[in-house]
Amino acid sequence: MIQLFDLSKKFGPNVALNDIRLRIRQGEFVFVTGPSGAGKTTLLRLIFGAEKPASGYILINAVNLNRISRPKLDLLRRKIGFVFQDFKLLPRKTVFENVAIALEVIGLRPKFVRKKTHQTLRLVGLAEKEKSYPLSLSGGEQQRVAIARAIVKDPLILLADEPTGNLDPQLTMEIMELFKSIHRKGTTVVVATHSQELLEATDCRTILLNRGKISEDTP
Amino acid sequence: MNIRKNLSVHILSLGTIVASLLILGAFLLLFGNLNNWLQRWGTALSMSIYLKDGISEYRRDKVYSFIRGLPEAEIKRFISKEEALKDLRAALGEDAGFLNRLVRNPLPASYEIVFESKGTHGVEPERIKGELEKLDGVEEVQYSNEWLNKLEGFLNVVRLIGFIIGGLLCLCVVFIVTNTIKLTIYSRKDEIEILKLVGATDWFVKTPFLIEGTIQGISGGVLAVLMLFSGYLILPTKGVSLLGLTPLDFVFLPAGYLVLILILGAVLGVIGSFIAIGRFFAV
Ligand SMILES: Nc1ncnc2c1ncn2[C@@H]1O[C@H](COP(=O)(O)OP(=O)(O)O)[C@@H](O)[C@H]1O
Ligand SMILES: [Mg+2]
Repeated sequence: MIQLFDLSKKFGPNVALNDIRLRIRQGEFVFVTGPSGAGKTTLLRLIFGAEKPASGYILINAVNLNRISRPKLDLLRRKIGFVFQDFKLLPRKTVFENVAIALEVIGLRPKFVRKKTHQTLRLVGLAEKEKSYPLSLSGGEQQRVAIARAIVKDPLILLADEPTGNLDPQLTMEIMELFKSIHRKGTTVVVATHSQELLEATDCRTILLNRGKISEDTP
Repeated sequence: MNIRKNLSVHILSLGTIVASLLILGAFLLLFGNLNNWLQRWGTALSMSIYLKDGISEYRRDKVYSFIRGLPEAEIKRFISKEEALKDLRAALGEDAGFLNRLVRNPLPASYEIVFESKGTHGVEPERIKGELEKLDGVEEVQYSNEWLNKLEGFLNVVRLIGFIIGGLLCLCVVFIVTNTIKLTIYSRKDEIEILKLVGATDWFVKTPFLIEGTIQGISGGVLAVLMLFSGYLILPTKGVSLLGLTPLDFVFLPAGYLVLILILGAVLGVIGSFIAIGRFFAV
């Protein structure tokens, strides 16, 4: 469960998030939407512990991120998959290595890591590109590598920031189906997007952000 | 371009480590040999027993048998007054002319003896000297320990300088490793951030840099030892004869010292990289 209490975030004088109250239950599928600059990315990064709030609290499964120790945060992140808007792939590692790293940092057995990585790359349709380097891939392919890395560890929570921004409608639907299947296995999924098509095609809970405030929350 | 820049930084760093350890090793080599030689001379203690002019045959025999009775003493030769003058004449060479104007031979006759002690300090020259000088007919006793003491003082100074230089060189190596690793870390800042974002522990990220620093230190040590050894082979330093004393062997560092240089390299590498990652990850 993700709980946000009176959460605010400022960048200098710029208020990115203002007094956010939100509860996302374990196993929910939630869209966060709103115009560019509304604070979607900031919200996800706060939940991930990559930013510190100006005020307010974030509880992840009753753990207060304001007071979590560095090693505990590392452990928590192993249970959270994050698809970054700018992918954040390692340019000097192959597609395979980029995905495998998420399992290696956990210290899983190499044999398992290999099997699971192959399997996940097949799932996102990149089995053929395993040995390629990220910079030789198209934007859509890089995005799918980022998705594969986020889901390879079967996370408890999946945070995806504009995960379909570089994908054509066909691939967008495939990736959404993938997220749905992960959700069916019990993962909490939070997808930030400003894609209208995506939102129209779903009946999931949608949180509308506007200038750092929640202006709509439709269950 | 980044990789090439990094490579030259690494080569520069390795070069500095090698140079530092090389100087350190050369110093150890020199010091070890100096020490060896002094030990050798210290055990091969030589003594000159000068006899009074006009000593009687009887007294001389007494002195002679006393010397014979000394443990481990070996009489190298008896130098008569005439022989002593001849030796001096030979030593002075062209400047020996003034000797002709001497009315009488001022040089005493003497026994040259050597103590071939196997143990380092089995002989007590001061005590033997005292006993000999109490004998009738003995003018004076000299032994080689006086300048040996001076040499030992010199050795202590060399040792001190060695420690200071060695310490500075070690600091230098640590400094170089720290900066190289810092540069490496800096050039991989984005990668490190990504690793942290996918849940890598600090140690998962730090360990490769520690290993890199250690490898740098060890390879610096290996190269330094190899260069030191080839330098030793090339230089014609075996069997140096110094000050006309027994020929001296110039020996290479014992295996223990070589291992020490390698370990030193590794330790300095570890310390350097530890400092680098400590600073970086503290933020
Ligand atoms: N690292 C940052 N430094 C300064 N301002 C930032 C930073 N990240 C976000 N912002 C600002 O915070 C606001 C929200 O940004 P963001 O969360 O990226 O919005 P969205 O993802 O919805 O487009 C914007 O005004 C943006 O300029
Ligand atoms: Mg954004």
